[in-house]
Amino acid sequence: MTTDVISDITEAEQGSSLWHDAWLRLRKNKMALFGGITLLLFVIIAILTPLIAPYSYETQNLDLGATPPSAAHWLGTDIFGRDLLTQVMYGGRISLAVGFVATSVALVIGITWGAIAGYVGGRVDAVMMRLVDILYALPFMIFIVLLMVVFGRNVLLLFLAIGAVEWLTMARIMRSQVQQLRQQEFVEAAISLGLPPHTIIRRHLIPNALGPIIVYTTLTIPSVMLLEAFLSFLGLGIQPPQTSWGLLISYGAETMEEFPWLLIFPGLALTLTLFSLNFLGDGLRDALDVRRSKD
Amino acid sequence: MPHIDLKRTLWIGALASIFALSLAACGRGESNVAAGNREAVMHYGNGTEPQALDPHVMTGSPDVNIAMAIFEGLVTRHPDTMALVPGSAERWEISDDGKTYTFYINPKARWSNGDKLTAEDFAWSLRRSLHPDMGNQLAYVLFPIVGARDYANGKNRDPESLAIVVLNELTLQIKLDNPDPYFLGTMSVYATYPVHRATLEAHGKATDRYTPWTKVENFVGNGPFTLHEWKLNRRLVVTRSETYWDKDKVKLNAVVFHPVESETAEEKMFRAGQLHFTAQVPLSKIPAYKAMENSPYRQRKWQGTYFLQLNTNSPPLDNQLVRKALALATDRKKIINTVLRQTEIPNSVMVPAGTPEYRSPSSLAYDPEQARALMAEAGYPDGAGWPGMEFIFNTSENHRKIAVVLQQMWKDELNIDITLANQEWKVFLDTLNEGDYDLSRMGWIADSLNPATFLNIFTTDNGINRTGFSNARYDEIMLDLVPPTADQGERNALMQEAEAILLEAAPVIPLYTYNSKHLVQPSVKGATPNVLDIQNFKFISLNPDAPVWKDGGQ
Repeated sequence: MTTDVISDITEAEQGSSLWHDAWLRLRKNKMALFGGITLLLFVIIAILTPLIAPYSYETQNLDLGATPPSAAHWLGTDIFGRDLLTQVMYGGRISLAVGFVATSVALVIGITWGAIAGYVGGRVDAVMMRLVDILYALPFMIFIVLLMVVFGRNVLLLFLAIGAVEWLTMARIMRSQVQQLRQQEFVEAAISLGLPPHTIIRRHLIPNALGPIIVYTTLTIPSVMLLEAFLSFLGLGIQPPQTSWGLLISYGAETMEEFPWLLIFPGLALTLTLFSLNFLGDGLRDALDVRRSKD
Repeated sequence: MPHIDLKRTLWIGALASIFALSLAACGRGESNVAAGNREAVMHYGNGTEPQALDPHVMTGSPDVNIAMAIFEGLVTRHPDTMALVPGSAERWEISDDGKTYTFYINPKARWSNGDKLTAEDFAWSLRRSLHPDMGNQLAYVLFPIVGARDYANGKNRDPESLAIVVLNELTLQIKLDNPDPYFLGTMSVYATYPVHRATLEAHGKATDRYTPWTKVENFVGNGPFTLHEWKLNRRLVVTRSETYWDKDKVKLNAVVFHPVESETAEEKMFRAGQLHFTAQVPLSKIPAYKAMENSPYRQRKWQGTYFLQLNTNSPPLDNQLVRKALALATDRKKIINTVLRQTEIPNSVMVPAGTPEYRSPSSLAYDPEQARALMAEAGYPDGAGWPGMEFIFNTSENHRKIAVVLQQMWKDELNIDITLANQEWKVFLDTLNEGDYDLSRMGWIADSLNPATFLNIFTTDNGINRTGFSNARYDEIMLDLVPPTADQGERNALMQEAEAILLEAAPVIPLYTYNSKHLVQPSVKGATPNVLDIQNFKFISLNPDAPVWKDGGQ
């Protein structure tokens, strides 16, 4: 009987206050809303690209070559005579996918790892965090190169490999947050009520640590996108005719004085995405601040 | 609530004004080129940081450019005519049978420490260059010498087995197995440069590849210039040698080699008046430079071939029909006229067009109809059943462009898919050497005008032949028949037969003959673009009255 009452109370509180309040607060934040809508738009475009792209992304028209924006090619064409708008759209699919998938991988591993280490503490914590230290010490490039060499080139593996090196900082942030929160009365109360550790971590610790995690996530996504461009440039990532924003930018930069549009448009797409992410991240952090909602 | 952090703002303001001041100071200061023109100091864009200054170790062109300044061979090339002129040897004799070369060292020739340059120095250095422990990748150029091949391969460790004989203090005699009309030119190549024995032995074993003897404070050379300063990744400076036998002819006081790896950065430095001469020119800038009046851009045919190599052990390329189909479906003119912007010369044969005294046999010209027919015959009609293959190239913008175009060209003509992969240069070479590839790009640049240079590399056991191509008649011609043939006409007929065999088997698809491309300041005299793309600093001078070429001229 008693346990039923408790779970009723927690559920009631969760459902009504945290997410609903957060949404109300987020809605008032114009910049965050703008960021969210832009991102959503980009994601929808990325998903629909194969249906709505004006041209094929690999068909070349060498005789046409690089042309500035025109009625036929809204963003112009690249040196191979391929439509740049199509390139940017297809590039967005890869870049956004890499950004979100790799970051999610990093989030899941990092949060779980950090929360367990921080919550359990003691010897387990020491071992887990030393492992993180060791991975930190490994040059991440070598790690990714090794992964790619052993398992072969593959876009999905690239996502996972990047995620697998990006979770370390996330784990540290999570652990320090959890260590702090653990000392607080509401956690002690939850422990004394006999809640199992995974419930405490899920219901109490993670929501309270959400702020810094969201901020760090919004920072991770762009860095992951850039990392992908870097790896692709080294020949470890995606290969032509597939493309990504990072690759388009690095090619565009080489000819920016002659064909500036090849740099400007992919750059604009990436910048807009990163700004949107940052605005949205800022907004979400404020909106989801549990402490503020308690006041 | 935004608020202005006064302290921080002040700091930023202070920093900004310091930055602005320093910029202004730069603007007022004299450019490298202006100062260099006045003081006869040449600023030379030299690609990357040199890997080695030991002429028996080096292979990269940045290293070779420096070696051309600080060493000198028995003979040297005049940059305008490519004619062989006396280097450290004041004269030479070639016997009537073309097999014995006698070099008379210039009695005035000195090392940079004042020691006399002797025939023994050359004999010792040539033996070192060939020594199996040196691992000298260019040792093969000396293989015409009697005993050289066996000595370099470690089959015969006796240095006396080499027909390199010191007749007296200043006379050196070299005997060849067969008459070789290109051997004199070989003696101007860096692998034949002398090194100072006492200096080498003072700093380690003579056959060690890297010892401190090439450090500035230890270095001894015999070239028109000597090593003066070497700041890693900053600059390497050579100054006029006071002991050089022909020092009155040397007009430059110093050459500053700038290691600028990025061609974009190099072009910017040139435009800012910081360089007299660039190692390369970014492709995207070439059309603009070509269109200029009084353009500093110099483009000239270069003795090198850019080709695709096909692994004949790797299906589907083990099928000759497929290889020929790929060759026939390759529209070289289109690649060069579009993405390469006419900066190279289309070439469908291995030996560069215009090689003196040689004409290549006719080759597989662009013919998509026949290519499709061959693919059908090979069992892939309209690409059906094509197993796929991978095209690897070393990371570079131009290689990528060519790969992307070929990928689509073959897709359009033959309806086949290939994947692309770029690799860092050393990884790329490893992959090729292990034969773990289908198709890759490759370039071969000659250090002489001998057409055999381009054909020898495809004999069965040659280390450069990574295609698996092996043809008994081809090997016979290139290894046994061409070397002893003295008559140029007969040699050419043999080599044409060999080249025809190579092109028919199609383990390679030649794409173009290289052009060398440089930006050169108007003040530079004597740096004539030439077919071997070498600069002989001894012949270069700077006109102090010439204007400095900067952005948009001046």
